[in-house]
Amino acid sequence: MTTPTLKIPEGWEGRAPDGWDWVPLWEAIEQGGHIFTDEFVRGAIDAGINPRVILDDGLFPGFNLQGDRFTEQIIFIPEMLITARAMKAGLALIRPLLAANDEKPLGIFVMGTVLGDMHDIGQSIVTIMLENAGFEITNLGTDVHPDRFIETAMEQKADLVGFSALLSTTVYYQKVTIEEFEKAGHRGKVNILIGGAPTTQEWANEIGADGWGKDAIAAVNLAKDLIAKNREAWA
Amino acid sequence: MSETVNVTFVADDDVRTAVTVATGSHLLDASREAELEVIATCGGRGRCRSCRTKVLRGAVPPPTIMDEVQLGPDEVHEGFRLSCQTRAIADCEIMLAPPTSEGGHKLLGSEGDITGRTGIDLDSGVVKHLVTAKIPTEEHEQTSDIEEILTAIGGDGPGTMAMDLLRDLPEVLRKEKGTVTVTTFNGTIIDIEPGDTTAHKYGLAFDIGTTSIVGSLVDLNTGEQLAAMGDVNPQAVYGGDLMSRLAFAQFSPQSLRKLRSRVVKAVSDQIKEGCDEAGIDPAHVYKVVVVGNTAMHHIFLGIDPTYVGLAPYSPTMRNAIELPSAELLLKVIPRARVCFLPIVAGFVGADTMGAVLATRIDESDEIRVVVDIGTNGEVVMGRRGKLMACSAPAGPALEGAQIRHGMRGAVGAIEKVEIGDDVTCDVIGNAPPIGICGSGLIDAVAKMLDAGVLHPSGRFHLKDRETLPPKLAMRLIAGGTGKGEFVLARADESGKDEDITLTQVDIRQLQLAKGAIYAGVLMLQRIMEVPDDDIAEVQMAGGFGNYINIESAVRIHLLPALPLEKITYVGNAAALGAQMALVSERERNRANDIAREIEHVSLAARPDFQDIFMEALCFPGDENVELLASAQTG
Ligand code: B12
Ligand code: FES
Repeated sequence: MTTPTLKIPEGWEGRAPDGWDWVPLWEAIEQGGHIFTDEFVRGAIDAGINPRVILDDGLFPGFNLQGDRFTEQIIFIPEMLITARAMKAGLALIRPLLAANDEKPLGIFVMGTVLGDMHDIGQSIVTIMLENAGFEITNLGTDVHPDRFIETAMEQKADLVGFSALLSTTVYYQKVTIEEFEKAGHRGKVNILIGGAPTTQEWANEIGADGWGKDAIAAVNLAKDLIAKNREAWA
Repeated sequence: MSETVNVTFVADDDVRTAVTVATGSHLLDASREAELEVIATCGGRGRCRSCRTKVLRGAVPPPTIMDEVQLGPDEVHEGFRLSCQTRAIADCEIMLAPPTSEGGHKLLGSEGDITGRTGIDLDSGVVKHLVTAKIPTEEHEQTSDIEEILTAIGGDGPGTMAMDLLRDLPEVLRKEKGTVTVTTFNGTIIDIEPGDTTAHKYGLAFDIGTTSIVGSLVDLNTGEQLAAMGDVNPQAVYGGDLMSRLAFAQFSPQSLRKLRSRVVKAVSDQIKEGCDEAGIDPAHVYKVVVVGNTAMHHIFLGIDPTYVGLAPYSPTMRNAIELPSAELLLKVIPRARVCFLPIVAGFVGADTMGAVLATRIDESDEIRVVVDIGTNGEVVMGRRGKLMACSAPAGPALEGAQIRHGMRGAVGAIEKVEIGDDVTCDVIGNAPPIGICGSGLIDAVAKMLDAGVLHPSGRFHLKDRETLPPKLAMRLIAGGTGKGEFVLARADESGKDEDITLTQVDIRQLQLAKGAIYAGVLMLQRIMEVPDDDIAEVQMAGGFGNYINIESAVRIHLLPALPLEKITYVGNAAALGAQMALVSERERNRANDIAREIEHVSLAARPDFQDIFMEALCFPGDENVELLASAQTG
């Protein structure tokens, strides 16, 4: 294992006003200081820094560091969650500005826990991480019927759909939902990700999912990879 | 009340020793103060009888459930008490009265006379009437065999009597010239035998668990337990844990048949074994009480459990039922009526009902909590008139599964850990350690937190290794994963040629498991608005709970931070509840009332669950808890 380290964005000084220092923000995100983050990002906006730069140079370094630690299982869910929430606080200020600059989301993602299952802690962390990474997400919650996944994917013209399942009795509905996408003639239009503690890569292969994410970071990386894949277009 | 009281201990040889102690001190502590050697085999937890005393003079508080269970109502009535459970509230004279033979720990629901242990009256509902019925002699009398029997027992109608009893009746009635023993269960005739068989009236109680099935055979004339049976649940070949077994049965009548026939066979075998041991005829078993989780309950009844395993996890039936044994395919006990205790919800089953019966929290004036610590645990909280329950699905980590060196509590398992300058482990059977069991895991983590090996967030203090005592620092290694591992027993001390360690991932598994249980408790506390101080007692139930070090359980926040004396063990309370309902119809009926009263809380439906669970995942003192609270979702 390589111990995750803070990756300092190259040449950040050139993109910030003279004397500007991102270190406090990197640390605030790392430690989950959402109030500090909010204030600091406001300050950065007021200082006229480009929102894209705030995101890449200010918010991501601390976020990615904790993400790497989470994947390596060095930090645990509560710590990942507070970092994700701090990140979210910053993003809430940045996102409208990015949109105004005509920045598009990385992709459209529809997420939910499959039929019969009420567990949503895992998938809500995946959702917040995807959101923070720049995806636009519709989260359908728990106990989601295949038809609802399909309808929402159609409505949103989704690029990706994610099915979470935590029970031995409900992983079956990951399979069923994929079959329903097939039957509806939409399978080729979306990339399907699955996850949840009892699932495995083998299961994903068996049921014909496009990817399996062992954790929220894997989910983000997979989503980023798969978005580049060619798909049939939504009508 | 004065601040101190005088306790005078009287020994066998009449030697008297007096001490002054703070009012409210336990007698056991007072005896230690007096430098008397009182053996506390179970560590003062009310689980044995080694600290028995007799109150000769002065007032003491009423007996606790532990006094009643361990000593029985007769002894309690005579003034015997467990000194570890009894507080000194006034000046008193106490005789030390350790039992002359003490055969290890006596657990609840293990042996002896059930009515005695639980202080309930014998009223099983099974009555044997010895009567001499008139054998019809005159044609003009317009009567029949059964009418003569009904007249003799003073009954009014044959009720829903089994046809086969009538088929045998002509012979039975005439065999002993009209002398017959008629057995009724709550008024319904369930057996008619020639001659006098009133001495033979037996019952069975079963707890059908996912992993094991335990039963006991009880003499319904005396309340005495005649045999105790137990074995693994043979359904395990179709899935070790509950959910995989449900997945196996899902949408498959054929799989359900397989599961059902296995439980029927296991129960039948145990019945034969118990009856053989006690030397009784299984045909004299008249009443059976069964508890078990909802899935086991449904499968035994042949009801498709598919929907128990899928949201909203609703059972097919919740009410208590009573059936002839033939409905359950229990051919060995042809005359028995089988009673199932009611169910509260899909994952708060008849086993939980048994535990509530046994612990009587429904009769408590103060708030009590029953926690069943297991893969699919439950929490029940409340008092008379207000009870709430939820499922707390810990997963198997607390039973030693999904832990790198985890194992069940068997010989070779580390069950206790001490950490000072170095680590010492207690191993079951004093063997070289080959793994660690759930109670060892809880203990180890508690001590690792104290020693600073673990941060309250659950992370190993790898970076600050140098600040640890040198021997501990050497045990804290990067390990194969590089994330940190703590060596409990080195390869040369262990029984399996490799270090017995706890890994970072093991700690996370423990956090998820203890977090699920603690979150269940926290949630019910929040809904019922019960601060820690208002909880009079937490009772740990389930076979495994008994071995947990209470102090460590509190240290890691598996249980709320209450004074340790407020936390007790109740053993296999579900099985005890079944036995109580077996010997007492009043108790069985009480279960129905309780089931109606308990409010089930679906944690999944609570939007605040995630925040509570995150808090519960942490160990005490983790500053992340505050950050979590201030940055709630949304
Ligand atoms: C919290 C919890 C609950 C909570 C759920 C609350 C909620 N809103 O989600 C509550 C208490 C409600 C609950 C209920 C039940 N639970 Co539960 N629960 C758990 C517990 C303790 C932790 C699960 C969890 O949240 N983990 C943390 C998250 C972060 O991990 P995760 O979900 O795996 O997610 C990560 C990855 O898998 C991945 N991921 C997740 N989804 C997705 C999706 C995609 C697309 C991708 C790419 C990745 C991905 O990313 C996540 C973050 O890194 C586990 C036991 C344990 N020790 O793990 C049992 C467990 C999951 N529950 C279990 C069961 C059976 C139940 C019940 C059905 C029955 C019961 N015994 O109570 C009930 C339902 C009853 C009811 N009426 O609600 C079982 C499942 C067993 C099995 N093999 O099927 C477990 C394992 C416990 C056990 N008994 O063994 N549960
Ligand atoms: S010490 Fe065991 S009961 Fe008191």
